[in-house]
Amino acid sequence: MRDLPTSLELLALAHELLRDELVPLLPPERRRDAHLIATAMAIAAREVAGEGWQGEIEQALGDFYGEVGKGDLARFAADLRNGAFETSPSRAAAARAILWRLTIEKLREGNPQFLAANGLSDAGRQGQ
Amino acid sequence: MGLGDRQVALAQFLAEASDAEQVEIARIALLPGGAIQENWGIDANFEGGRLAGQQRLVLRTDALTGVPSSLGRLEEFAVLRAAFSAGVTVPQPLFACDDAAVVGKPFLVMRRVAGSAAGRPITLDPSLEAVRSALAERLGRELARLQTIRPPRADLAFLSPYDGPAGQIAEFRAYLDRHPNPRPVLEWALRWAETHRPDPLPPVLCHRDFRTGNYLLDGIKLSAILDWEFAGWGDPDEDIGWFCCKGWRFGRLDREAGGIADRRHFYRGYEAASGRQLDPERVKFWEVYANIRWAVISMQQSDRYLIGGARSLSTAITGRRATECELELLSLLDPDGAAKQAAHA
Repeated sequence: MRDLPTSLELLALAHELLRDELVPLLPPERRRDAHLIATAMAIAAREVAGEGWQGEIEQALGDFYGEVGKGDLARFAADLRNGAFETSPSRAAAARAILWRLTIEKLREGNPQFLAANGLSDAGRQGQ
Repeated sequence: MGLGDRQVALAQFLAEASDAEQVEIARIALLPGGAIQENWGIDANFEGGRLAGQQRLVLRTDALTGVPSSLGRLEEFAVLRAAFSAGVTVPQPLFACDDAAVVGKPFLVMRRVAGSAAGRPITLDPSLEAVRSALAERLGRELARLQTIRPPRADLAFLSPYDGPAGQIAEFRAYLDRHPNPRPVLEWALRWAETHRPDPLPPVLCHRDFRTGNYLLDGIKLSAILDWEFAGWGDPDEDIGWFCCKGWRFGRLDREAGGIADRRHFYRGYEAASGRQLDPERVKFWEVYANIRWAVISMQQSDRYLIGGARSLSTAITGRRATECELELLSLLDPDGAAKQAAHA
């Protein structure tokens, strides 16, 4: 029912306008601020486009705890604080796999350049 | 606060502190950077006294919002003076003042040193290519010199005694307990740190923000190590781990010593000057610790918006960097997992 172009398309166009046409006009001492604005816009666009992974993490946590439905990230964090999985190598490995997935998905939205610089731009998209 | 409104009181303070007949401030301007502290550049003419003539100074005072655990300006002045006396390359500290009648809050004054601290030019400028290894070695030597300052010291009696990383680990956990979002990677890394604490070494003075971005290069020459507000007694390897932490490599992740060189150059300078061989396992512990600490500091920066209401995009967005630290923690503590992830990338 919403009008087109989508908000994501508008954000992408605004980002291009800022980066390609406005940033070069700014005095050097304000360019960092403009880059921060562009970064914030890009994060917002990627987060709007990438909502699905949070449900997948919750499902993975549910599977990890053998529960039906969503798992609880706070419980997982508390268990890791207490070393709850350290006596079982398979549980510890499964916990680490969730940590990797969570971190990579957050960076895919928050800082994909950093992920790429670490050789992980497409990590977690297959074989997980 | 605009120091421009306080020029008369400031000039009078500078005159009294330096035994000058009169001080005329020709220029005063806020210097770039400094999220936690404000640094004001001052050009002044001193008539008589210990600083007679034209002087270029920096006045350092608190910004509107600070972060926990930073020293006050008078304490930072004492640390700076100790470092200067030990032969560390720092701006010469001149005066400190806690009389609110002068500029409204405590401040210190030091000589203004030429150079730039911006991280990316230092790691990426091709003209520095030939000198980066020597710079890393020099910084290692500087750190060793700093570590000749050891407790007890009457002039640094305000610094808390050091009893190992357990207290800090507890503080990080207490912070996470207050934070609304669970951070399982940080919890996992803190558990590792708790169970892998190295055998203690005698404490030394740690800078606690010794990194690329906090030293000045004047051309190709190291001209000053800056920002001493987090200094305190600590483990000799804490600054080593912080310097090598991935968060301070400014676009050159492959150069593990501050984005400027291979670790061996930094280590060589440190080991030669300190006479102590570095233990890779100890350094690994402190690098893990560095990533945890930087993650928490990043989140605290965002708290200045989330809790403190500071309307600053720069500080609000910094919390996102915590996840970069978490990726590095996973890479350091689960190298097999890192290889598996890379194979799938």
